[in-house]
Amino acid sequence: MNSSKLIGLYRALLSIILTFLVTSIFLIINNTNPLLAYYYIFIGAFGNINLIIETLVRATPILIISLGLAISFRCKVWNIGAEGQLYIGAMLGTITAIALGESFFTFPIAFIMSLIGGALWASIPAFMKSKLGINEVITTFLMNFISINFVQWLLSFPLKSPETLFPESERIPNSAILPVLIPYTRMHLGIVIAFFLILPIIHFIMMKTTFGFKLKVVGENPEVARYSGIDVEKILFLALVISGALAGMAGFIEVAGIQFRMRPTISPGYGYTGIVIALLGQNNPIGISLASIFIAAIINGSSTMSRMLNQPQGIVDFIQGLLIMFVLASNYILRYVSKKELIKL
Amino acid sequence: MSSQIPSFFSNDIVLHVEGIRKVYPNGVIANDNVTLSVLKGEIHAILGENGAGKTTLVNIIAGCIKPDAGEIYVNGKKVKIDNPRTAIKLGIGVVHQHFILIPTLTVIENIALSLNNSGFRLNLSKVKERIIQLSNLLNLKIDFNTKVEELPVGLKQKVEILRVLCQNANILILDEPTSVLTPIEVEEFFRILRNLKEKGCSIILITHKVKEALSISDRITIMRKGRIIKTLTPKETNEEELSLLIIGEKQNSESISFTNENNNTKKILLSVNNLNVRGDRGELSVKNVSFSLYSGEILGIAGIAGNGQKELVEALTGLRKPESGTIIIMDENVVNKKPKFLIKKGMAYIPEDRIGRGVVLTMSLAENAILKRFEESPFSNKTIMNKNSIMNYAHELIKKFGIIAPNPNIEVSNLSGGNIQRLIVARELSYNAKILIAENPTAGLDVRATDFTHRIFLDLKSKGVGILLISADLDELLKLSDRILVMYNGKIMKEFNRNEYDIYKIAKLMLGIEVN
Amino acid sequence: MIELIISLISITLQTSAPLLLASIGECIVERGGILNLGIEGAMLIGAFTGFISAYFTKNLLIGILASIIGGIAIVLFFGFLVIEMNLDQVISALAINLLSYGICIYFFRIIFSQGSLPYISELLSPIPIPILSEIPIIGMILFNQTIFVYIALISIPIAYYLIFKTRYGLSLRATGENPSIAYRLGVNVSKVRYIALIIEGIFVGIAGGTFCLSMFNVFDVRITAAKGFMAVSIVILGRWNPIGVFGGALLFGFAEALSLWIGTLIIGPISASISQLLSILPYVVTIIALLIGGRKAKGPASLGAPFSRE
Repeated sequence: MNSSKLIGLYRALLSIILTFLVTSIFLIINNTNPLLAYYYIFIGAFGNINLIIETLVRATPILIISLGLAISFRCKVWNIGAEGQLYIGAMLGTITAIALGESFFTFPIAFIMSLIGGALWASIPAFMKSKLGINEVITTFLMNFISINFVQWLLSFPLKSPETLFPESERIPNSAILPVLIPYTRMHLGIVIAFFLILPIIHFIMMKTTFGFKLKVVGENPEVARYSGIDVEKILFLALVISGALAGMAGFIEVAGIQFRMRPTISPGYGYTGIVIALLGQNNPIGISLASIFIAAIINGSSTMSRMLNQPQGIVDFIQGLLIMFVLASNYILRYVSKKELIKL
Repeated sequence: MSSQIPSFFSNDIVLHVEGIRKVYPNGVIANDNVTLSVLKGEIHAILGENGAGKTTLVNIIAGCIKPDAGEIYVNGKKVKIDNPRTAIKLGIGVVHQHFILIPTLTVIENIALSLNNSGFRLNLSKVKERIIQLSNLLNLKIDFNTKVEELPVGLKQKVEILRVLCQNANILILDEPTSVLTPIEVEEFFRILRNLKEKGCSIILITHKVKEALSISDRITIMRKGRIIKTLTPKETNEEELSLLIIGEKQNSESISFTNENNNTKKILLSVNNLNVRGDRGELSVKNVSFSLYSGEILGIAGIAGNGQKELVEALTGLRKPESGTIIIMDENVVNKKPKFLIKKGMAYIPEDRIGRGVVLTMSLAENAILKRFEESPFSNKTIMNKNSIMNYAHELIKKFGIIAPNPNIEVSNLSGGNIQRLIVARELSYNAKILIAENPTAGLDVRATDFTHRIFLDLKSKGVGILLISADLDELLKLSDRILVMYNGKIMKEFNRNEYDIYKIAKLMLGIEVN
Repeated sequence: MIELIISLISITLQTSAPLLLASIGECIVERGGILNLGIEGAMLIGAFTGFISAYFTKNLLIGILASIIGGIAIVLFFGFLVIEMNLDQVISALAINLLSYGICIYFFRIIFSQGSLPYISELLSPIPIPILSEIPIIGMILFNQTIFVYIALISIPIAYYLIFKTRYGLSLRATGENPSIAYRLGVNVSKVRYIALIIEGIFVGIAGGTFCLSMFNVFDVRITAAKGFMAVSIVILGRWNPIGVFGGALLFGFAEALSLWIGTLIIGPISASISQLLSILPYVVTIIALLIGGRKAKGPASLGAPFSRE
């Protein structure tokens, strides 16, 4: 492990420790023993094989999203629209699957359509960023509200399943559903796809390819990138579109692996959780895979903890907010420390 | 070394700095035990080469840079100048080499900005009154509601001086003020300085021009390599002695032998015809420029910064679209081609802003070394990078170009300026470039690194590379170039062959004065 | 018909108010070179503190005051991250937004038990301005509004005066163009920026307060609904000028009012469908407006760039 990866690890650990410290203070104020709370979180996430699988189930969509975000963050494109890209991708995938019905090609085609959906949705802010220079943070975020409300409308009216009372789509055909690998659990093929196919692919792209190299140069110094013959605008565009595609894929895997229908509640803010994970994982795919399991464990574990200790549910969002804050702050602290150590050659 | 001031003067010392030391994070010692006194009502020149530490000293007195050690006394009292506001309050007015004017604000607004008067409301009419009063002193007749960006350089400088006067400064520090002025303007400028001196102002004049220092100042302090060498009066010295003091002992650089072959026997590598290029604000910055660069020659472009060189270079390197005209590289018009294409054609480029445009500070030496070639074999097969060959290659460059670095994985931000320059040179020359465009390649480098760069250039030249050398350093151009083009206001004023070199003629042309 | 149009214009003023307040605040801060994308979170905190205080004190004016304090606190925290720690402004803003969201969700549930739905019994009522409000038609529209609308409208000339007619405004503009030059000219860059942020905190806090104290009587973390980001878009479209910002805020406010208004017009089985679909209208309008008008927008030259003294 080289020194920059080591610093990244320190940074992540430091921010996790600081987050737990601050959370403890509020738990104590709220008359709760923090150690007991963390114990229940751990038990709730890893207490038995079923809970471990549930944690992995939870980690899957956020892993895929944050891998995509890592690509866009690597070149400093701040895509905060993964939430909306997820909805569009999942919706398009679901529509495709239902339209195709039972067939051998249903899953692959629907899967690809979910990628295309996310990518197309992201291509609007990507175009605005690379051609018109309009800040992608604003556009991607605003487009979340368009996509989520639009999907909600689709599911409430034109695409609503006639059989249920809730706003949700029809059930997707069985051939579009990801098979369960361990009977009587929700351990579906999507989890394996995420950890053993998508993760290595993204790792390879980021670390070993010229595209990954270009992402890095553009992110660190776009001026130099331009001088070196890199088409900066193209890279910015592609990075955002790829991250959109992965968010769309995450949405469809959630439909095909867990929900079997498209629902307006399909993502409880996974697009934003992905931001926390990408930053906590220091844009490094391996770090991100660990961070996504970590956050998934906190999400699942804290609902157990809330029940056991009668704590409010929102603690997960609070922890996520603190985490991203301390990732930033630890960046500063370590930068300050390491600057003092270095001697110019 | 202490300054040589007779003790009976000491009541008249308005500014005294003692033992100032400043070491930059990259290890450059910019000021080393600098001690200096400035008397009431004197013009005190600080004379030295580029990189002697003059500007650092100015910035320390102005409160822009914190010194590592040393003390400052104003009017006999010890002061701590930790930000520019304090300096302004103490009556220290600085005209920096790079103007500190906000281009989008008007003249009045710029001046009002630095005034310390109280009040919530912005009272521009009051400021204007004061400006008009003082502008007579400078013989400055302009509309003060003009935005600063619309003023020519000479007027900008007057606005700067006006600003300093409006601040009620009695210690004026002028950093290389004449470098942007024409000789006629310089005369007038000196008249103004003498005027101010008579009104009791003390003036510190930072310059590298010996003649100027001799003609205007009461005392001259020579700085070299961050140290004060000597303080003299103009009467007790002469041009020659000062020049020797500035340069120090002669460097034993090899004399450069020139083979003045006839250009007809050489190949034209680059030919520029009637090129017009617009600048950032839409103004025509390069006007009808034509020239050819031959293989095996160094073509110098002389000119004061801001006369279209930047835009010309950007057009040549594919970063700026020309308005009209052609750029032909080896029989192919490359106008509107992207940088990538030009790099493939064999164009290498050493940018002036090495940190901003030359390297990615947060990436490793190895990654920077292949920045322009990462899509070539053996570094990648277009899509997949080959780490081993990249590392081997980086090791090779480190050895060949004498880059001081423990290993190729080190982040470039940990290298010194000279080593970064070596890295850039190494990278740019590594892909068998046929044309090299070098923009002020030795600015800010120490003697060793400068010498290294010059040797490389001459070596390349002997190998048939054509080098376009854009430099503000006339001595460098005279030393290296086979031909010199003088650029002024976007136009090529004249071409000099090596046997016609005349430093005074070139200098005048750089200022836009026609010569026969 | 006239009554309907009057109500449309009146709703437009109401929906524009938070947008206008937030974008005026953002306009001032961006003039000083700081891009604060964290106003979404700051607005939410303003709504939260306003709601809590009004709920417990039963005093809406204390609610407004608490909104202001909440807004200032979170914006100053952002200032600490980007000025003191010199961190990236965009990521710091993301962090602020997520943290604000987390704080609101968590503390709302700490304060009010799980499942309860606290509400404020009385919202701020419109304050008719004597005489003026009696002018036919116009009086009803312009001079019979809540205090928030009046504050929002007054903020335009205040901001204009501050930016262009005061010494502080001059320092602010200089800082936004080039902080290092401004610094060398004796401007206290950090102080100028902190002051701008405090002003923004006040305006954004009030903007947050409008949601819980005048529009809805409950609190929900989705209450700001990207209004902060709309405000940032408005600043771009308004070209960093309070008057332009006013136009932008009216446009987006109108889009929102229109979607509400049409929703009330349509009766019958499709009305629910139409009004739900119409809820995306303000966002679509914003994106289209940015597509058309965001192109040649040139803000303060150093907007978003880090600044350190040496």
